Amino acid sequence: MQYCRVSSVAEAVDELTRWGAEGRVLAGGTDVMPRFLQGEQVPAALIDIGGIEGLQGISEVGGVTSIGALVTMRRLATASLIALRHPALSQAAAAVGAWQTQTVATLGGNICSAASTADTLPALLVAGAQLTLVSKSGRRRIGLEEFLEGPGTTALRPTELLRAVELEPLGERSAEGYLKVARRSSMDVAVVGLALRLHVSPSGVIDGVRIAMCGGDRSAHRVPAAESVLLGTQLSDESGAFTEARAALADAVGPGDSVESQYRRRVLPGLFGRLAGRCSAEISGVVA
Amino acid sequence: MTIRLIVNDRAHRLTVDSGEALLGTLRDRLGLTGPKEACGEGECGACTVLVDGGPVASCILAAGSTNGRAVRTVEGLAGAGDLTTLQQAFVRHAAVQCGYCTPGVLMVLTALLEEVSEPTEAEVRQALAGNICRCTGYQQIVEAALDAARAVAS
Repeated sequence: MQYCRVSSVAEAVDELTRWGAEGRVLAGGTDVMPRFLQGEQVPAALIDIGGIEGLQGISEVGGVTSIGALVTMRRLATASLIALRHPALSQAAAAVGAWQTQTVATLGGNICSAASTADTLPALLVAGAQLTLVSKSGRRRIGLEEFLEGPGTTALRPTELLRAVELEPLGERSAEGYLKVARRSSMDVAVVGLALRLHVSPSGVIDGVRIAMCGGDRSAHRVPAAESVLLGTQLSDESGAFTEARAALADAVGPGDSVESQYRRRVLPGLFGRLAGRCSAEISGVVA
Repeated sequence: MTIRLIVNDRAHRLTVDSGEALLGTLRDRLGLTGPKEACGEGECGACTVLVDGGPVASCILAAGSTNGRAVRTVEGLAGAGDLTTLQQAFVRHAAVQCGYCTPGVLMVLTALLEEVSEPTEAEVRQALAGNICRCTGYQQIVEAALDAARAVAS
């Protein structure tokens, strides 16, 4: 196996073009290295992109937050801009593994590995994430929903590199959060993870809602059925719409009758209740 | 592949295999056997070392990716015969039993105390979440960390 260290996006793209599907991008390596060391996935080349300075940035320009693919979980969990403008992402990054994982694990890695349990994905979905992918033939943008094709499968071509993620920051009269259920509080994958973003009009009507979950049999995904029952309802009117949304979430687990699916159906309504309560308290505090 | 590495303040130039994990480099090439291999998949924390000040699981970290970085292992904590305040607190509180997890636990707590001067018990426990100890039940470790933080602060 070859180890290719690259220091620019152009060099990375050259190596990806050279190796194609035989190459594997290495960033923090928390996913790639265990698979390699256990002999599960032995690529012809590891393309180490860790030294590319241009993929390390976090910025907010023109109402859009841009996060480089190499930004680590630890930085996402501790950066004040992320805590303020993307609290769900901050909370999700803090829920990944433990400190040792977060020091090196990157946002780009979490997105491209696309595990069904990836904590950051629901948080990115509720922030309307758009990805920028680069290759020899130029760059293209793709929405995260379209990018995620299934557990471990994405629209990333072997010759493409994920460069950055663009997110819509939280505006006024809005709140969001991420909550996860796992067997242990750290160092464990999500049995189920849930992200919620709410936005209300000046009169307190919910005029924007995004709900996304991870941990099931599918890739992380939005839950339109639960979103639509909340849209247009009064934030203060919790009983009706919020109860319906809870039921829609339990339905979103899918038809599987495994113990895991049954458990997800049981815990999701409660998880949503906690998140929705937290978000509406934050917004009410602002509206009142 | 050749990498440059600063380990416990000493510069090294090393030839490593392309898929080598940092833990193997430290133990087998540099003879630093403080960091331990237990799970071998980055789950248990026994192999924890600091890379540029941040704790990492060295058993799954590609040695190549640490080129040009500064690594600290448990061997780098004590000076000639002087244990650090944290290590002294471990002795006082009997925070070591079999000792296998101790080098990793010391490194993660060293990183914590460098980042937060007086951590709360919750912060100590959160920092330790990636380190498994089968002997102590963690209580003595947490008490030692809090005691060390107080000693450093005062």
